[in-house]
Formats: sequence, structure tokens, C-alpha cells
Amino acid sequence: MSEAATASLLSARGVTHELGAHVIAACFDRAGRGVAFGLGDGSVVLLAAGASEPRRVDAHDGAVMALCPDTRADGFISAGDDGTLLRISPTGEITKLYASGGKWIEHVASFAEPRGGLIACASGRHVHLFDVAGQRLKTLTHPSTVTGIAFDTRGKRIAASHYNGASLWFTASKSNNPRLLEWKGSHTGVAIHPATDAVVTSMQENSLHGWRLSDGQHMRMSGYPAKTESLGFTRSGKWLASSGADSIVLWPFFGGGPMGKLPTELAQIENVLCTRIACHPKDELVAAGYANGIVLIAQISSQNVLPLNDVGPSPISALAWSPDGAGLAFGTEWGQAAFIDLSASRSPIRAASS
Amino acid sequence: MSEMLVPVTVLTGFLGAGKTTLLNRILTEQHGRRYAVVINEFGELGVDNDLVVDADEEVFEMNNGCICCTVRGDLIRIIGGLMKRSKKFDGIIVETTGLANPAPVAQTFFVDDGVRARARLDAIVTVADAKNLPARLADSAEASAQIAFADIVILNKLDLVTPEEADAVQARIRAVNPLARIVRATRADVPVETLLHQNAFDLARILDIDPSFLESDEHGHTEGVYSASFEVARPIDMQKFQQWISTLLQEKGGDLLRTKGILHIAGEPRRFAFQAVHMMADGDFQDVAVGPEEKSRLVFIGRDLNRPQLRRGFEACQVAA
Repeated sequence: MSEAATASLLSARGVTHELGAHVIAACFDRAGRGVAFGLGDGSVVLLAAGASEPRRVDAHDGAVMALCPDTRADGFISAGDDGTLLRISPTGEITKLYASGGKWIEHVASFAEPRGGLIACASGRHVHLFDVAGQRLKTLTHPSTVTGIAFDTRGKRIAASHYNGASLWFTASKSNNPRLLEWKGSHTGVAIHPATDAVVTSMQENSLHGWRLSDGQHMRMSGYPAKTESLGFTRSGKWLASSGADSIVLWPFFGGGPMGKLPTELAQIENVLCTRIACHPKDELVAAGYANGIVLIAQISSQNVLPLNDVGPSPISALAWSPDGAGLAFGTEWGQAAFIDLSASRSPIRAASS
Repeated sequence: MSEMLVPVTVLTGFLGAGKTTLLNRILTEQHGRRYAVVINEFGELGVDNDLVVDADEEVFEMNNGCICCTVRGDLIRIIGGLMKRSKKFDGIIVETTGLANPAPVAQTFFVDDGVRARARLDAIVTVADAKNLPARLADSAEASAQIAFADIVILNKLDLVTPEEADAVQARIRAVNPLARIVRATRADVPVETLLHQNAFDLARILDIDPSFLESDEHGHTEGVYSASFEVARPIDMQKFQQWISTLLQEKGGDLLRTKGILHIAGEPRRFAFQAVHMMADGDFQDVAVGPEEKSRLVFIGRDLNRPQLRRGFEACQVAA
């Protein structure tokens, strides 16, 4: 890994802002016109494409707990430990969509299609579903607190992780009976395969658990030195990328895997924990953030690694690709937030490694 | 290092013992400190505090084969969430429901790396109603457990009992838990600084196993929760002790609620402090010199304690005479 290259990419193609509070989440809007950072002081900081200065929105009384793109082309949905779910416009106007009465709202997710979309939030045992106008459609109740939610790629189903497994719901179903995917223990996050072949959860015991949906086959993926806090499938669905080791851990979801297969480990930084991963929206690339502040991009096929910045003082706590895959945003526990524009080169990895 | 960790105080006690009164006092008194409070019944508190967290007590079993290794998953989540907030606080108070066993809360601090990196268990405080405690101890295993786990017992509502009754109930508490500090109160009127920031789980603070607790077999309890205390004169063989205590905790950990010890290890000038909550154990050498002729002491609080067997086991850990 070349130190010189790392210094140049963020400084040459990116901007960094000191936001002064733990960056809990980062995400782009659907059109890729702006990026938002959710902070531990309750504010959401908006950075519009081309704007030099970020716009700070006082969103929550407490901390932001989760952030996702709005169902519209621009704007964001945020949730906080003040128990509110907010819609934030690109100009910083706030619309309250829901208030839980004080209970933390810990997760949000959205799904958009030309004719509509869905917004979901999790508070305690409940997942609330809203239409694009912010009208609550239904409430899905679980046996214990929901620790993660994810829509499938078509918005047909939503998965929620909780104690002793995950629940998979049809979003349009009239009958409120989920498919219960059972596995004893505390499940702390969830991801759905892009072709809805499998649901995978992260677990308290430094492992992942999966269910193949066609036949309910269990998948056990273990060996992590730490808990996986960040996981996601690559665009093709061939790989499941995860944090929780000193590399990006990739499980193969092809050729009979992951059962009986070893994971591929990319971009190892010895004894430095990978804290966040983000799969590229188009290509088989994974961005990863580490506890020493490093952010890099790894290409799965070539195993080439492109570092984007220098070692920093604080762990990476948020990481997100723009919808076109040309921009990357990240944030740290100590309040640095950055945006890097990688669009100038169609293939940054090849350019850097040559 | 431990100063960097946020102290967590666990507040237990049966319904009506005065827990809510105490919490309200902690939150409204002018002591210059801010506390985050994790409670089960939102709205029960009469204070408006943005650091009050509404939680469901959610216990799960770890998949590590220990039958008694239960953990509060909600606390792992909540502590993680609170630590991201910019508005800082001086400590976290976790209120448990009246019927809760405190063990899963304590075990959470042994098990989860994320919690250990950010927070430390400071003390378990149990509020006991002086009038009703004897009846609760007789009819509820949870009441015994709450007394057994306590580092501090607030013997509350003393205005409802005679001085003789108060002494009798204090003796009952002592029989269950000889290590806890007992604080007498009327309307939970206990100085906050004597409850919070106590470092009761800090091994370096296990200095005061009072010899008068030891070898007091006259309680003669045959059921319920009680304690057994032992001391031995010759230095301890570290390897033998570790083998014995780990086997014991594996086999009897379900019945051994809390264990504390101060040991004189053979050939080691410093004291060794040891503690366990059920099977979860922790031990380290302290920067305290072993005194001349200092004996090693060990206290078990639990159920079905076989005193002769425990004594023989501990005695066998000594180096040869």
C-alpha cells in the first residue's frame, strides 16, 4: 500500500469537513445530488454536489440513530433517539413523519420505484411502514427488539433481525404473518441477497447466520475476531462482504457456498479492525473503512486495493457510495466527514495500480 | 484506563421498595452530575430528562454452552447508542424490574467486548423495604438473588419498623450477603455520592473482606441463598487454585451467585484479587503488598453451598506445608 497514493486521492479529489460530533451514518440521495451525514449531536449535515460549504440541520434532540435516502429523487429520512422520524429536504426543511413517544427509533430503510416506494423504521419491537407521502400503512410486530431492517431489491419484502432469528414480511400482504427464520441467539443486523436467495444476519457471537430461502438451509459463517457491524451483498449477489476482522471478509454465494467454503479476505491491515464496508452499486468493488481511519477500495476479481486517505486519529463509523458509484462518502467517530469524487477516472483501481 | 469508562450502576429492588423514589432523587438533586437512566416503565419517572431511555429487559442465552450465561442484549445496544451522543453524561443507571435477577445485567459487562471497551459495571444497588423484605426473602428466589448480588443494600422505609425489627432484617441481609454495604434510609434519603461511582467491581477495591464474616457457620441455613467464607494460612498454589476454581465455577456456577477472594499466591509479593458472577470470573494481581502472615480469603454467596467440600477444596490449593 503506497502512502503517497493515499494522501493524494482524498486531497486531490475530495473534501473533508470537521463536523465536531460522532458521524453515525452517511448516505447519498437517490439522484446522487447530495450527501448527508447524521451526527451524535442530533444534527444532519447536508453537502450538495458542487457546494463548498455544508448545511447543518438541527434535526433531533439527542443523537441521530439512522439515516437513509428519501423515496424522492433528493432528500433524506432520519431517525433519532428522541423518537422522531423525519423527512429532510435538500434545503434543510424538516417534516415529521412519525413520533414514537420517546422510544428510540434505531433503524430506517427506504425503497423507491417510479410509481411509489416505501419507508420503514424500527422502534422497539415494531417496524412501521409508510408510503411515499409519509402515511403509515402498517405496523409489523416482532417477538423482541428489532436490531436491523432491510428491503429486498424490489420492495416486495422486508426483513427484520431480532432475538432468535429474523422475520421476513411481504410488504403488501394483508395478512400480517411473517416467515420466521429461526436460529437461537441475539441477531444484531440483517441483509437480503439481491435476488432474494438468502437472508443473512450478524450475531452477538462474532459470527453471521444465513438462511437459504428456497429450502431454509442454514448457513453458518464464523471466525470473526469482533462483531460484524456492517454487512452487504455485492451487486451481483455473488459475494457477501462484512466487517469484523482485520480485512474485508467476503463469503461466496455461488458454487454451493457459503456452506463448506472459506471466505476470501481482501485488504488486510494487520491487527486493525475493518469497521465499515460498502458494496459498489454497479461493479464488484467493496469500499472499506478501518479503525485507524483508513478508507480503501478493493476490487474482488483482481484483489487490487486502492487506498484513499492516510491513517487518521479515529475509526471509520460511516461509509456510503453514491447511486452511480462515482462518489464515496465517509465519516469518523471523532467527527470528520469526507466526500471523494472518483468519476474523473472510469477505473480508479487500474489507474492507481499501474 | 478505567477512569475513561462510563460507570454503570444497576438499581434493583422489589416493587414498592422505593426504587423510583431513589431514581427521582438522583435525577432531580443538585449534585452537578448528569446520568443517563435506562428504565422499563416510561412515564413512571416524574422528571423530564432527555437521557431517560425506555427499554425492554431482553435477556438471551449466549451460544457458548454455559447454561447460566444469560446477557441483557438491550443493554449492549443502549450503551452503544448512548456512547455516540455528543451530550456527555457522567454515568448510566440501569433500573431493573422488581422481579428481575441481576445476573444477566452483571454478566453483560463480562461478555460483550463493545460494552467492556466503553463502560464498566460500577455497583449493584438493591433497595429493600425493611417491613416487607423478610416476607419477600421467604417467598421469592429473586429477592434473595437481589440481596445476594448487591454491593450496596439500601434498607429503606425504616419509619415503618421498630429498631429491633430493623436490626433483625439487617441480620437477615448479612446472612445472605456478608460483603454488601448496608445503608439505612427512610424515604430513600441516601446521599447520592455514596451510591454512585463506587468501583465495587474494581478488583483493586476488593480489599475489605472482613475477617469477622469468615467461618461463621452458625447461620445454619439449609435452603435459600446464603454465604460461605473461608480463610487459609499457607500461600496458594496458583495453578491448583485456577484448576479448582474454574472446575467449580463450571460445575456449580449456576448456584454460585457471587464469589470474591483475596489471595496470597506463593512466591508473589502482591495480593491477588478474584471475583466471579456465576461462571464469569476475573482476577488480577493488585498493587498491594501481601502483609506478613496474611491469610487468603474467599467468600461464596449462593445456594446449596457444601461448606465442608468448599473448605477442603480451598485448603487443598495451599502449597505443601
